[in-house]
This record gives sequence, C-alpha cells and structure tokens, in this order.
Amino acid sequence: MDAERAVVPWDSPEPLSGPIGVPLVDLLDRVLATGVVVSGDLVIAIADVPLVRVSLHALLSSVSERVPAPWADGGPL
Amino acid sequence: MTHPAPRDRAPDAAGVTYVFAVCRGTRAVNTADVTGLAGMPGGAAVRLLPSGPLTAVVQTVPADDFTDEVWQARLSDPQEIERYARAHHEVVSAAAVHGPAVPLPLATLYHDDDRARRALDGEAHRFHGVLKRIAHHAEWGVKVYEPEPPAAQEEREPAPVGDGGREAPAPGAGLAYLNRKRGVQERRERRREQALSVAESVDAQLRALAAASRRLRTHAAVPGGDGRVHVLNATYLVADQRAEELAALVRALGERTGTRIELTGPWVPYSFVGEV
Repeated sequence: MDAERAVVPWDSPEPLSGPIGVPLVDLLDRVLATGVVVSGDLVIAIADVPLVRVSLHALLSSVSERVPAPWADGGPL
Repeated sequence: MTHPAPRDRAPDAAGVTYVFAVCRGTRAVNTADVTGLAGMPGGAAVRLLPSGPLTAVVQTVPADDFTDEVWQARLSDPQEIERYARAHHEVVSAAAVHGPAVPLPLATLYHDDDRARRALDGEAHRFHGVLKRIAHHAEWGVKVYEPEPPAAQEEREPAPVGDGGREAPAPGAGLAYLNRKRGVQERRERRREQALSVAESVDAQLRALAAASRRLRTHAAVPGGDGRVHVLNATYLVADQRAEELAALVRALGERTGTRIELTGPWVPYSFVGEV
C-alpha cells in the first residue's frame, strides 16, 4: 500500500487522510461482510453475517441480492 | 520493541481489547507509531500488541460501550455505523502502510491482551498463510452500472390521445396502451440483459488479471443517491505491480462497452482474508 498511485482520491500513503473519501457502501461491504478470521471473546453475534445483514437491510433499506428497486429506472408501471 | 502506550483511562476490569488488524512482527511494524490514530470513539490510545512473530494493532475500549446490545443499536443507526466503520478502517489502513495486514472484522473483541495474544498464537498458521497471500497485493472494487435510459421521452408514456370528454375511448386504445407498456418493459429488460452480459465479460477479463476475485452483493440505488443501478459489484485481489494494468483495463473496457465502470481502491484486502 506504499506505492504512489493516483487512481483514486483516498489512496495516499498518509494514514490519516485515508478513510475520508471512501464511499460508505463500499466500506461496509468490506468492513462488515468480510470473512471471520478469528472469533473474539465478546460480541460474537456482530461478526455473524445474518445479524449484519438484517441491520444493513434496515440501514440501507434496499439491499438486495440481485433485484434492484423496482422504481430504479423510470418509476413503477 | 513496543510497550503499552500510556492510556487515558485506567487499565481496569472495565476495559476490553479491540483488535483491528494483525501484521507480521517486522521491525518496520513494531517501530511504527500508531499513537496518533483516533481508533474507536471512547477508547484509549491505539497500540501494538506483539505476540511471537505476529503483531496486532489493538486498543483498549470500555467494555460497557462495546456489548452486543450496544452494537445492535449502533448497527441500525447510519451515522453511528459510519463513524465506527470509518474509525476501524482508518486504523486498518494505517496498519497496512508498513507491510501486509490482515484486517479483522469490525468489533473483534477480547477480554484482555492475554486472550487476544492466545487467539493470535492459536491461529498463527492461518495468519501467516493469509499474510503470505496478500503481501504486495491490494484489493480493488469494480462496479458496472446499468446504462441510463437512452431517451427520456421514448421511455415515458406518451400523452393520452383524444379529448378527455369522450365517455368511451377510441376502439383499440386499450390495446395500443398495453402495447406501449409492453414496449417500455421490453426495452428495460433488454437494457438490463445487455448490462448483465457486459458485466460478465468485464468480470471475466478482470479475473484473468487478478490473483483472486469475489462477487459482492449488488445494492439497489442508495436512497437519496443519484439513482444509478449497478449490475456487478465485484472485488479483485491484484498484485501491486499490476495495479496500473488493472486501471488501464477498466478504462478500456468502459470505453469499448460504453458502460460506466467504477474502480475503487486500493483497499486493504478485506475480502480476501476469510478463505485461508
């Protein structure tokens, strides 16, 4: 992660400038949906995908596996 | 080597150890200064926790603010989840500056440093396997968007013909209406099918360049966003020396297919640490 690449605005070797521009949805895809590497002592349920899924549904209100919101292009028939 | 940084909170029973990431315990990592990182809101200073050949980036956080119940509430509050996710990401990104880092999922907590160390030691071979796999690699996210409707008026229903005062519509008006509707629906489906086939070919070509790939869930348009719909949400583990090739390929694919393709990264390889 230390190479100089200028493809995206948040890519910078400076750690503190890192997360500012990262789109939240992309971040949550990674921070929450990553595989569990080790199980912690506490808050095990947080690492469980089902809980996170449920909460994400509430959060993004429109997460779906394949089907986009029906009104996404052109409104309901 | 490192020693626990001074904490602004007494190290008592109410503190638990939050682990952000696990790195190789190299000199560069073990001499890194992480004290400037904010870490989790309400926590003590971020510090390094060496354990044999591995070093974890950890923070002592108040136990009563990191319980299951608190997290459940937190995960359903968009602002809170953003705050904690960004705090987590900031530390993970900083850890990865000095060498490969295995990010742990948000809210991986241990009762204390000893328990965290024991977990590291117990899974050491897995961590080393993952570290080897992700060294000199970064994760890149790619989204392929469905094209915008070509012409707005073509999609929209034409203004009703005939005057409104008539009691019965002209013969065939209902059929014409249905045909129009069917046309709109068919065009929409065709557009989506084309976008999906573009997505498949983009994915196939990027996979050829990547060390590994994963398909993430697609999201519907974000409420309050720009309404764009994506048909592919994939992520690729790409060697550092091929990152420019990837960017060029994504650009070329976008131009060739006339499709909007979005590249994000480089990410710490969040999506590629779970399988080993």
